[in-house]
Amino acid sequence: MTKTNEKTEAAMDRRAFFRAGSGAAVVAATVVATGAEPVMAAETDSERKKARYQETEHVKTFYRVNRY
Amino acid sequence: MARVKFLCDADRCIECNACVTACKNEHEVPWGINRRRVVTINDGKPGERSVSMACMHCTDAPCAAVCPVSCFYTTADAVVLHSKDLCIGCGYCFYACPFGAPQYPKVGNFGSRGKMDKCTYCAGGPEEDFSTVEFEKYGRNRLAEGKLPLCAEMCSTKSLLAGDGEMIATIYKERVMKRGYGSGAWGWKTAYKETVAI
Repeated sequence: MTKTNEKTEAAMDRRAFFRAGSGAAVVAATVVATGAEPVMAAETDSERKKARYQETEHVKTFYRVNRY
Repeated sequence: MARVKFLCDADRCIECNACVTACKNEHEVPWGINRRRVVTINDGKPGERSVSMACMHCTDAPCAAVCPVSCFYTTADAVVLHSKDLCIGCGYCFYACPFGAPQYPKVGNFGSRGKMDKCTYCAGGPEEDFSTVEFEKYGRNRLAEGKLPLCAEMCSTKSLLAGDGEMIATIYKERVMKRGYGSGAWGWKTAYKETVAI
């Protein structure tokens, strides 16, 4: 009788272990999912339409060398 | 405000395809897609002409007019860009474009096209500037770095011009005045509704 009780307790412990384990796995998966793919915020409408062309020295050199 | 444009001086293009290669390498464009290519008319015959062709970033872009999901937008410096997150790969823009610029990766079965890809004027896309996501989807953002499209910068005969429309039209006019002839600023009337008057 005592042996059976011990078995039941052991079984319960195992279940508790896996329950705790699965909980930890879910937490780990969440961390991995959020950590693996950093969410890049797309630009706002005004940001993406803003002018990016600048007349830098690099660009001025391009214009100069294309003159001949 | 500068309006950026492309101009191909067809009298200088030697069909070396360096612009095509430079573009593919700079943006790591996948196999099967050419954002730029060189078209040769009368190949091997007298009067042969080659024109380097990509998206011309039209003033009144027909691709944007037909897009059912409005994924196109024009920046303040007149670059026509699109969002690959919104694109459904319907292919309407391909039929509307007079230059054949939109390209499709053909990733799926049964004729599905995948997200449209085209020349970005080396200006990235709607994602954050210089981000990995922007590079993976649209390629490098050279314009934000203070540079010009690599195809034009690489051109060995200086046939392909890029930059401020006023400036490159002036350069082209000077060339035509000096040599006394010009084959016309190919595509300018179609894309920008104007010609370089000589």
